[in-house]
Amino acid sequence: MVYERSDGEEQGGPGEQRSSPAHPPFGKKQLPSIPKNAVPITKAASPASSTESANGTHASYGPFYLEYSLLAEFTLVIKQRLPGIYVQPSYRSTLMWFGVIFIRHGLYQDGVFKFTVYIPDNFPDGDCPRVIFDTPVFHPLVDSVSGELDVRRAFTKWRRNHNHIWQVLMYARTIFYKINTMDPLNPEAVVLYDKDFQLFKSKVVDSVKLCNSHLFDQPKIDDPFAISFSPWNPAVHEEAKDKMFAYKRLHSDPLLTAPHNQRWAEDYNKGPLVSGLSWVKPGSTQPFSKEDIPLQT
Amino acid sequence: MEVMSWLSRLNPRGPGTRTGRHAAPTSPCTADPETCLMVFENHWRQVSRVLKQRESSVGGYADDLTAVRNHTDQMLCLLAEERPAGGDIDSPVGPILKMVVAENILDELVQWHVRRGLDPDSQLELLKLFEMLIGQSHQPLLLHSAVLQPLLNLLGACVDPQLGSPPALESSLVLLLNQVCVCMAKETAVLELIFRCGLVQQGPTNLLIFSLLVPFIHRDGSLGQQARDALLLVMATSASNHSVARHIAENSYFCPVLATGLSALYSSLPRKIEVRGDDWHALRREDWMAVSSLVLFMNSLEFCNAVVQVAHPLVRCQLLDYLHNGFLVPVMGPALHKSSVDEMIASTAYLDLFLRSITETSLLKTFLRFILLHRHDNDTILDTLLTRISSNSRLCMVSLSLFKTLLSLNCEDLMLQLVLRYLLPCTHVMLSQRRAVRETDLYGKSADKFLSLIPECCRITPAPSSERDDEPAFWGKGKPVSDTFMDNSPTSESPVHPRPSTPSRLALFIRQQSSGGQAIPPSSGSENAPSSPRGSVSSPLSPDSPVHQLPDTSEGETGYLEYLRDARKGIELCSWACRDWSAPYDGENPSPNSAPPPPPPPTSHPSLNMVQEHFSIMDRPQQRGCLESESQRLSPVPALTETSTVPCDSRGPESVERLIEELLERAPSEPLTGDSKCQGISIEAFHQELRELEERVRERRVLSRSSEESSREYRTAPTPSLTDEDCLPVEIEQRSSETKPESYATGVFSPARPLGPPLAQPYTGPFITVLFSKLESMMQNSLYVNILLTGVVFQLACYPQPLLRSFLLNTNMVFQPSVKSLIQVLGSVKNRIEAFAATHEDFPAMLRKARRFLVARGKLDWSDSPIGVPTLRRSDSLIKSRKPSLGDLILRHTNSPTRARHAAQLALAHVRDGGQSLHSALFRGGAAGGASGLEKQAEALRVKNAVYCAVIFSEFLKELAALAQEHSVALPFPPSQGAEE
Repeated sequence: MVYERSDGEEQGGPGEQRSSPAHPPFGKKQLPSIPKNAVPITKAASPASSTESANGTHASYGPFYLEYSLLAEFTLVIKQRLPGIYVQPSYRSTLMWFGVIFIRHGLYQDGVFKFTVYIPDNFPDGDCPRVIFDTPVFHPLVDSVSGELDVRRAFTKWRRNHNHIWQVLMYARTIFYKINTMDPLNPEAVVLYDKDFQLFKSKVVDSVKLCNSHLFDQPKIDDPFAISFSPWNPAVHEEAKDKMFAYKRLHSDPLLTAPHNQRWAEDYNKGPLVSGLSWVKPGSTQPFSKEDIPLQT
Repeated sequence: MEVMSWLSRLNPRGPGTRTGRHAAPTSPCTADPETCLMVFENHWRQVSRVLKQRESSVGGYADDLTAVRNHTDQMLCLLAEERPAGGDIDSPVGPILKMVVAENILDELVQWHVRRGLDPDSQLELLKLFEMLIGQSHQPLLLHSAVLQPLLNLLGACVDPQLGSPPALESSLVLLLNQVCVCMAKETAVLELIFRCGLVQQGPTNLLIFSLLVPFIHRDGSLGQQARDALLLVMATSASNHSVARHIAENSYFCPVLATGLSALYSSLPRKIEVRGDDWHALRREDWMAVSSLVLFMNSLEFCNAVVQVAHPLVRCQLLDYLHNGFLVPVMGPALHKSSVDEMIASTAYLDLFLRSITETSLLKTFLRFILLHRHDNDTILDTLLTRISSNSRLCMVSLSLFKTLLSLNCEDLMLQLVLRYLLPCTHVMLSQRRAVRETDLYGKSADKFLSLIPECCRITPAPSSERDDEPAFWGKGKPVSDTFMDNSPTSESPVHPRPSTPSRLALFIRQQSSGGQAIPPSSGSENAPSSPRGSVSSPLSPDSPVHQLPDTSEGETGYLEYLRDARKGIELCSWACRDWSAPYDGENPSPNSAPPPPPPPTSHPSLNMVQEHFSIMDRPQQRGCLESESQRLSPVPALTETSTVPCDSRGPESVERLIEELLERAPSEPLTGDSKCQGISIEAFHQELRELEERVRERRVLSRSSEESSREYRTAPTPSLTDEDCLPVEIEQRSSETKPESYATGVFSPARPLGPPLAQPYTGPFITVLFSKLESMMQNSLYVNILLTGVVFQLACYPQPLLRSFLLNTNMVFQPSVKSLIQVLGSVKNRIEAFAATHEDFPAMLRKARRFLVARGKLDWSDSPIGVPTLRRSDSLIKSRKPSLGDLILRHTNSPTRARHAAQLALAHVRDGGQSLHSALFRGGAAGGASGLEKQAEALRVKNAVYCAVIFSEFLKELAALAQEHSVALPFPPSQGAEE
């Protein structure tokens, strides 16, 4: 497929690459925190449920477990390098993630769908996360009114250790490439899909157009970390783009472009960090096996 | 260019070195060049008249000499003051220099002196004259062989091949040589010229300038420093000149003198380090600045480091070879294996100091190679050092400190030998569990498990109302959850908060680290980064972060956020430093099946059983007596007394003779001829000795190489013993600590058991074994042992390699029954603490006291007493980066250490006394050993150790929990590009 290559180009970048440059980057492992006067979306009632999951031993540490579980999930997402998917936890609550999917081929080609992931506050012991598209996409598995994706059909029971949020994101991407018409949330779409595929297709195209026309709208939820798009402005974007592509050319591993690595690379250039002390030949487990040829006098 | 910038800072000569006589005739030079030339010609006419006279008659008149001297003074001053001719680009040479070159004036002058017979007085005069000329000249004089050649002739005439340079000339000679080297660094062509001039004249020792400097390498004081600086300049200048480098390596004794000189200097170090303070465990800069022999050694080591940094690879390789075979193997090796505990402590502390001071990777490699591969009496140095961890208090602390240093290097080879090779075969886990090695703890299960081990008696309890005021507010306790969430502020790049308001376990310990005798302090702005001894990240917390504004947790229950932050820093630093390792060590790569079976546990370990396991009670009274002796009280700083050093001759350890003597002591051969006391040494004899030594080193090098290789082969030889546990029925044994309480009861005061399970069982290696057994005896360890011990385990647990991480921190892993896990060990400590608390009514009160003491101790380190902080910081800032510029290396010495040292001593005494007195005040009841003396004291000590242990243990568990959590959210670093050298 023509677009496969660009899939590879796009993949793996952590969320903030698409986000407005004005926003502070969501660095690695940093808890997005709550501004002083903001009301946290986390329900205050949550400790009870999260302590339960922590054997009740240290109730006070419960919130840490939840935060870190979500951060660990986010880390997994980054490691998965899902093609065309970007997510970013909200500034106000780690239980809400903003995301966007780029569809590069198939029926929904060129679709750019913004969505929000809502994670239950008793994660990972509760229900599966919910995925709600900002604009209801015309799709058998997406509710035409609320925009909610039917996640539950893929994750009937959320099982800790087995189910991860990246799988949900992956699922949200897959539905646009492989249409499933069983038990639809949008029966109209299924009927058209089965009976009048051409009409279905044109409806899809309309829906994609509609979604894309709302791309530059203000984010639905007012949050500093919400993903917002703005029209191409060379003064703002050109430099960042060049930087990104220069980096890609230089370094094959997208992790190199990850902020934590860049930060350390900068620190390293500045500072006195010793690093990479190893004289072990790859494949060997003997110390000093990577012997440099001694200079003979 | 960097070199140039520091050269400009390098003041050619001290202001005091110029004599009045030379300064006087400068006034006419302000005149125009033509006048100067006329004056010069006039002087030269007068001189040539005398010179011509002398040719006809033999023997001289004193008048002649005086006349020539006076005229020469004037002439050379004129030459020195002359500016290069402006305008004329083709020959910017000034008229006087032109004339000097054309008529070969300097050569004639020197020839005359030499023919006439140089008395020491004239030699000194001429050396000074040339030094002035070269140091002050505005033109690159040395580029003209008409200047260079007579200079070399003069040097050749001054230095007797038999006797070396006369002592009276030394300082002038070295200063002159230093000046020449400075010129050489400015004008690289000079090196080439000197080299070629030499080739014609001096045959094999053609780099005369260089050979003359070598004997001064290990001198103390400014003389030695000038010589080292000059040599370093030659090294830097010749780094790209292969033929010069070749010459240095093949025809000079630079490398052998440098390396074996270290041996000589080492043997004059104190064999016993006498210290005050229970917590001393490593040599800090303030410590060793007070010991002249150690300063001398460190200067030379630093010089080695600098040479390795700047020299041509040829020279570098040779030097490293000599260091290994001429210093580490013959001197460090035996020193580390001395039988007396004092000597073990001293040599371990020295090795630690050396490792912390070295910054050059290849030098570090030489040391590590020695530690890991060299076998002394069949044991590697590493094995020997490992066993010391299980010994009694001070030796244990010094050894732990050394391992802390080693772990902070993040060196794959070291970690492989120390831990990873034992985990590689994966025989320590149940077969079905091997896949779990790579799993991360997503939901805080492990963290929860660690936290659940905090003994009930150590949880915060409401204090009696009188004490309630200073009772800490446990984070989140009694606060709505939303508030605790607010404690996380967005991160920023803003500067680090000067000091944490909540001292963590690490903060309690920061004193040892920040003021450590480290050549590599954390980078500026992060002096309070406790867990990153070699640099640090920018702090994730901004100064006004609410974390810092948490209610003052003055009584020890410390913020978990701090631990998370430390853990994150530690893990990031470590993963970054390990990103270029050859393999991920994740249980698949390297493959468990291809991994060579690690060495089996020692069947019996005499050295382990021999040494005392516990903090000894019996040697306390002695120590105390020692502490209170008058002499000790006079020196407020841990006093390193120079006991039992090798007898020194009249000129002290710094002289070359001493060096030679040392060499001869070790390698018996013909005694040195010549009266060393007044005549200096015979260069020839010196060379002779070195030649022989060189031969021996060469032989030994061949020998040691081959023995290392054979031992390596031997290690890979044993047959694999995998079958055993692979066939074992998978019985998942419940290993929770609560199941076997009876074993703890018996274990509490039992003496050291032989370490390591019987053969053919999976074995996690001696390091893990010794650390775990030391952890098991936490209750008996002294406070400072425990602080160090938990610090080492923390550092070990920062390593991101799944094999190691899962072994230490994954509490869900199921190990083979014979493998002890960290959680098991900690469980047993928990039970002992609870048992202890149950039998002591006043435990809660004691616990609070202990916490308060520890917090106060932590705060002392941060108190900016007017003298304390600046001086400590200054000594740190002197050595800022791992790669100091050449200029730093040289300039560092120009700062007199004396004042800094005094101030540091004062500051330290303040801190220490404060700590000590506070300490004794807290435990007054126990310390005042009344009637029943020893017994009571012993009990008091036992209680004290147990209470402190309870505090440290609880904090340690939080630390481990934080590590487990941070590991689950850590992102790997990709290998650096072009890391392969």
